[in-house]
Amino acid sequence: MRVVETSELTKIYQNRYIALNALDLNVEKGTVFGLVGPNGAGKSTTFRILLGLQRPTAGSVKIFGEPMTAESADIRRRIGYLPTNPHFPRNLTPIEYLQFVGAISGVGKKQTQIQLSRLLQAVDLTSAASQTVGGFSDGMRTRLGIAAALIHDPELLILDEPTSGLDPSGRKQTIELIRELSGRDRTIIIATHILGDIERVCTDVGIISSGHLIYTGPMAEMRRLARQGTISVEIEGNTASFEQQIHTLDELGSLQWERNGAEFRITFLGTEPLPIYIERVLQLIDRTGVELLHINTGADEIEEAFLTRLEEDRTRGFLRAAAWAATQDIAGTRSGPNGSGKNIVAQEPEVIDAGVLGDPTL
Amino acid sequence: MQAFLAILRFDLSQLIHSWLVRIWVTLLAASAIFLVSVSANEGELASETLAIYTAAIYVPFSVAVLAVLAVSAVNGEASVTADSILSKSVTRTEYITAKIASRIGITLGVYLLVMAPFAYLVMRYAISDTSVSGVIIGLLMVSTLLSFLVAAGIMLSILMRNVLFAVPVLIAGVLLSGAVLQFVGLTWMSATAVINELPETFRGETPVWDEVRVLFVFISLSLAAIISGIWQFRRKDL
Repeated sequence: MRVVETSELTKIYQNRYIALNALDLNVEKGTVFGLVGPNGAGKSTTFRILLGLQRPTAGSVKIFGEPMTAESADIRRRIGYLPTNPHFPRNLTPIEYLQFVGAISGVGKKQTQIQLSRLLQAVDLTSAASQTVGGFSDGMRTRLGIAAALIHDPELLILDEPTSGLDPSGRKQTIELIRELSGRDRTIIIATHILGDIERVCTDVGIISSGHLIYTGPMAEMRRLARQGTISVEIEGNTASFEQQIHTLDELGSLQWERNGAEFRITFLGTEPLPIYIERVLQLIDRTGVELLHINTGADEIEEAFLTRLEEDRTRGFLRAAAWAATQDIAGTRSGPNGSGKNIVAQEPEVIDAGVLGDPTL
Repeated sequence: MQAFLAILRFDLSQLIHSWLVRIWVTLLAASAIFLVSVSANEGELASETLAIYTAAIYVPFSVAVLAVLAVSAVNGEASVTADSILSKSVTRTEYITAKIASRIGITLGVYLLVMAPFAYLVMRYAISDTSVSGVIIGLLMVSTLLSFLVAAGIMLSILMRNVLFAVPVLIAGVLLSGAVLQFVGLTWMSATAVINELPETFRGETPVWDEVRVLFVFISLSLAAIISGIWQFRRKDL
């Protein structure tokens, strides 16, 4: 079942700025979906439209299968939302604020009291319960926002930059909290510009750039793609011999490598599985008699893969636009006056974006 | 309905605890007590005392305060509204009607709190030349003027993002409307004309038709501003 479904979602502000560009986002029930993109990519705008806070210029949005509008309070009752750097009434204490949120969310008074005590403890704000929100740091406000998003035990949780303004310990704590919240049929969507923050908790990921989703797929697939073929080794001993013999690895297909001190980063461009490449590199290490200090099969590369896809998308922008215009002409020719050529248009990006890994329809 | 009541309670509580409202009520009450004692000691006419207090103290001072309260109702707290309230299970209509109800409620509440005892004391201790029905109608006419000001202010608050700019726009609008109405031959519709007529109204000398049309016009204008504000807010991007 799809919890979130957008179709060609477009938002243009005052005919001047395109925030969302035909965004097709689908999130299945029970997944933890990471929406990753640089600042200004359209993540927050997407969320505000999902919540009915803003109206799309074009396209449609369905939450739990129902169209979302500004008046869809019943749908929002099933959603918890944490905005980026949330704003709260400054003169309230966290308890007063959560009581207010409980009241407007339709939670009973007793249930609110039970929930708020539990949540304030979970987000580590119990000691700050007597302070007013006006004196809170960014991190404390974010944690209070998480508690407010959870007060009515929502089925869908939308978190916009949940680790924003948090120190390393707060970030870790928040990630752990998200991990605990996942499951039990709850769907979570997390927006961030730091993929590493959510890499461990997300089951699915979408990469958004300039208001357009350029990749979507399972996190495991993204991870696999990111790690595919790149091996970093840190060695000591006869490194010159190792360097001289790296070329012998090209029997597996072409490769690229670079050296940075004692670290060699080898990228295989073939299609063999990663374990084969690892085996050959370890054999080379053994053969040249160098000592292996560290081997990395791309665990840190996922961030780079994300950036690569952004770069690919930027360079393809003109090509995509030109190809889309061409398909419009073809569709117009084929479809005739009844306009039945829409499917042809929808499928066309499959060809244009063939180099973008993941869902080929994007 | 639960969300409407929760927001109404919350907004009223915020207003009652604000320094602006506290200072406003204190100054109105203090000046009212002073005028009662003066009118009692100096043998002033009740109708003149009531009219002077309304025209020279209550209305000018309240226009400034109410303009700020009304214009800051929505855009003054836009980020809090979106983050804390409208992202929850609250409809736009519930939110804006609760806001309108609380702002008009505080306006009429303070008005009743200050004017009712003041009118009673003036009628009792000053030289009585007023009629009870005239005082009630006169006070009612001023309350519709103030309600219209607040409704227009809230509408402006939805349309304009800059609160500091919206306050002078609202006050200038009220002041300029008098000149414009005079120019088009509708002087009786201006706030200034209504206030100038107050001594006669308090004495019960104003024709009923004049009173009815003023009440009708300002209630209609208030409703138009409220409906227009709700319509605008439901379409607004937050």
